[in-house]
Amino acid sequence: MPPVACPGIFIYPNLWQNTNMKRWLWFFLALAAGIGLGLLYGWVISPVDFVNLPPDTLRADYRADYILMVAEAYRSEKDLDLAARRLAIFGSEPPVEIAAQALQFGTSAGFSASEIADLEALVQALRTWQPSSGVAP
Amino acid sequence: MSKKNLPWEAILALLIGIALGLLYSWVISPVAVVDAIPSALRADFKDQYRSVIAAAYAANDDLARARSRLALLGDADSYAALSAQAQKALSGGDALQSYQLAQLASALKELNPVDVPDTPTNPVAQLDLSATSKPAPVNPSETPLPLETDIPLFYTATPRATRTPTAKPGAPFKLLEQETICDMSLAEGLLQVITITSNNRRQIPGIELILSWAGGEEHFFTGFKPELGNGYADSLMQPGVIYNLRAADGGAFISELTPPVCQGEHGETYYGGLKITLHRP
Repeated sequence: MPPVACPGIFIYPNLWQNTNMKRWLWFFLALAAGIGLGLLYGWVISPVDFVNLPPDTLRADYRADYILMVAEAYRSEKDLDLAARRLAIFGSEPPVEIAAQALQFGTSAGFSASEIADLEALVQALRTWQPSSGVAP
Repeated sequence: MSKKNLPWEAILALLIGIALGLLYSWVISPVAVVDAIPSALRADFKDQYRSVIAAAYAANDDLARARSRLALLGDADSYAALSAQAQKALSGGDALQSYQLAQLASALKELNPVDVPDTPTNPVAQLDLSATSKPAPVNPSETPLPLETDIPLFYTATPRATRTPTAKPGAPFKLLEQETICDMSLAEGLLQVITITSNNRRQIPGIELILSWAGGEEHFFTGFKPELGNGYADSLMQPGVIYNLRAADGGAFISELTPPVCQGEHGETYYGGLKITLHRP
């Protein structure tokens, strides 16, 4: 049988019977299957076990509830430094922004009026708050 | 299939592929955590979470909500976790946090009472708090300690409990009760002090007590033996010495304390102890 007319390339029908080619084909197929199996195992069957997580990974509702607790405690304690230190658990973001995010979440998630009031009071207080005695929030 | 006919290249490629897949999925691009639950937090962050729960409880007195929030942390025994953290806070000098944690622990214990150990640590014996504390459980074995596990995802509309005034740190203590304890199993001259709140009889940890006598004084704190109560403290008195007791932050001054002389079953005499209950209005 004459070669297929394609400039510069000659494909012979018995190409797939070429032992070398078959071996490479199997090699890449097995490699792909292996990668697939590895990903399946690593992402689905046994993903990295997440413990010891930092608080900034908390789900939004848990995060908002934590901040609500800080606001509730602030209502009673009236200690802004302490409230700011408690909020600093979420990282280096300014405490007022952290509290404001929770207020926003609470408003959209249907927090009760008293809870919103607590969060608003905390946000208001933090707007003018300056860390005292060198205590970094 | 003979050894020679095995597709060694394919097997090798499969293994290499698995290794590459695992490298990518475990190291290069592991599953990203964006919606973690509180129980997955690192231990120190869990402590912080717990202390904020206690602070919120101190503010709103909503025990049901505090329990739900504690359950999110996945502690096997919330009371034990709170008590241990209260002791840690106390030893770290954070009296307010210790107070709040212990208050929540006490409230939980009232809700889910458990047995105190039958064999108390010597020389301190198990206290009978029935006269000064809450009612004993009908049958503690029937009252499971673990908190609820079916946790609603979020509590936004939980009705708030009516606020009950709680004692605030700093109010002066008053003497509620002074008892003579004649029990040979206890150390001679054992002085047991319990500090409680008046309104709900919860024990108060972190109270500095001063036991003074002619020529000296000793400072000791409530809450260092949580197995006997968060508001419990003890000291030893020497026979024949007169002592005075007071809380460091003021209040009642209990004078003329000395180990009482007790008589055993066979007529022998020994020195007993005293149990003093102080309450904060």
